Amino acid sequence: MIRLQNIEKVYRTDTIETLALNSISLDVDKGEFLSIMGPSGCGKSTLLNIMGLLDAPSKGDVRIGDQATLNLSDKQLAHFRNKKLGFIFQSYHLINDLQVLDNVELPLLYRNTTAKERKQLATEALEKVGLSNRIKHFPTQLSGGQRQRVAIARAIVGRPEIILADEPTGNLDSAMGSEIMEILIQLNKVDKTTIVMVTHDENMANKTHRLVRLFDGAQVQ
Amino acid sequence: MYRHLFKLIWNKRKQNFLLMSEMLVSFLVLFAVFTLLVYYYQNYKKPMGFEYKNVWLVNYSNGDKIHNGDSLKLFYETLKREIRAMPEVKDISLSSSNVPLTQSMIQNGFFYKGKETNNVNTYQVDDSYENVLQMKMLEGRWFNKTDAVTNTVPIVINSSLKEEVFGKEQVVGKIIGDDKAKKQIIGVVADTKFKGDYEASGMASFSRIDSSSIHWMGKMLIRVTADAGPAFEGRLYKKIAGYIENSNVEIEHLINKRKSINYFALVPMIVLSIVSCFLIINVALGLFGVLWYNINRRRGEIGLRRAIGATGRSVASQLVIETMILATFSLIIGAFFAVQFPLLNVFDLSTGVYMTALVLSIIFIYLLVLVCAFYPGRQAAAIYPAVALHEE
Repeated sequence: MIRLQNIEKVYRTDTIETLALNSISLDVDKGEFLSIMGPSGCGKSTLLNIMGLLDAPSKGDVRIGDQATLNLSDKQLAHFRNKKLGFIFQSYHLINDLQVLDNVELPLLYRNTTAKERKQLATEALEKVGLSNRIKHFPTQLSGGQRQRVAIARAIVGRPEIILADEPTGNLDSAMGSEIMEILIQLNKVDKTTIVMVTHDENMANKTHRLVRLFDGAQVQ
Repeated sequence: MYRHLFKLIWNKRKQNFLLMSEMLVSFLVLFAVFTLLVYYYQNYKKPMGFEYKNVWLVNYSNGDKIHNGDSLKLFYETLKREIRAMPEVKDISLSSSNVPLTQSMIQNGFFYKGKETNNVNTYQVDDSYENVLQMKMLEGRWFNKTDAVTNTVPIVINSSLKEEVFGKEQVVGKIIGDDKAKKQIIGVVADTKFKGDYEASGMASFSRIDSSSIHWMGKMLIRVTADAGPAFEGRLYKKIAGYIENSNVEIEHLINKRKSINYFALVPMIVLSIVSCFLIINVALGLFGVLWYNINRRRGEIGLRRAIGATGRSVASQLVIETMILATFSLIIGAFFAVQFPLLNVFDLSTGVYMTALVLSIIFIYLLVLVCAFYPGRQAAAIYPAVALHEE
């Protein structure tokens, strides 16, 4: 499903050159739930961003499905992300000025969908995460766990094949974190969605199919 | 997408209020400036309606030396004949104090069928006034000697007054006024911009100087040949000063009077334009700053939108459209106030002037907002999603 070959990422400033990822090759199968672990600054999020086409590697090749992504234009990349990928972030990234339903509808705005279709799909996604009774609320009126569930609903509303989650339980207590993890496991099991999750939590990582460990930008497991 | 943007704007109405207020105030100031500019431009485009070149204005004071009106008339007739005999003089006319291209103004009401029309400029003039100023008769005729013996007072009106009171009707021969002072319209003259290039001609009524009104005459208009110079001016001065003893005689040229009166109109327009330019620069910088600040504040949102499928271009467009929608709301409120001016006829200007100013102000505000939103929008488009999301 996702194939990374010899991925290298170098961050350059005027005086310093930092190697964030060093020759990473990784295959993620369709329907797999993969977790990535490692200490802070080891390149986990950078790797996830490259998988999500949010960042370009300095070297190497990224293929998602049958699609080589190296030479895609900004428009093609945006279209690809919209159709194939769903994102979940540690800090939720909800728009506080929009109600829950509007936040969930966001990815559908960049597709040819009617308002009615958007509302229907967003309501279904919110039902899946157990938040159908909060559609008129604003994010600031929700708890951390509820906000992350809204973010999950937003990630799945477009029915993407892949979900990329960057420390989705990082800001939550263990009970809330377990709830979120359970939702992700269900998505993987029931909908066969491929999930790549960056986490610091060993317990969460143990619930996934496979664990990849990074250290100083290199894959060690 | 528009519904989404409206929701976003509505939910951020408190933050957007100041920005909208800024745009509203700018619009209202621009509307005032454009109204003035359009009014002046429309007046400027219209013909003067008279010829001011080679016309000299003589100011004199005759005191109260000759009490009898008929004797005074004879006195002036003799003076005019002597002046007209000078080779450089083409024609001469006495006039009431409100001569062309001066600030002096005499206004009266104009009565017709019991209805009074106000703000009508009233001029007391000679039979040769029309010839001195090369005015254009549209209907009927100008005054002549036969008007001295009529039962009704003959008057000539200008086309603006005719249009206001009579519309398309034929007016020559009509009797106006009440039983005490009946007047007959004998002609219609083309509008004359007596207050300079930038002021409207206004409504005007001309009546013939008679033995009762001649006491109040203190101006002469003399059409001279193109080669009349200072030497002639000296001789003319001597002749008039010699004839009207102990009088303060002053000779001015209408071509210079025109320049002075035009400056008088242009100075406030220039001052207002400079003030509004500074205001617009301030508004532009303010808008630019607010939009720039908004983009920095919304980097996380921009990153998120890019991640879930927005292109750089669509992010830039969204920010520009959002600002344009805010501008539209401000303009709707502003236009509501602006249309009250023609509806209530606040400054007695034509609806066309207000409407043109309204359209120009709207276009200007949209362009200003577009220019100010364009660069921050482009900067937003250049934000790399991974960087924006990481910063958040």
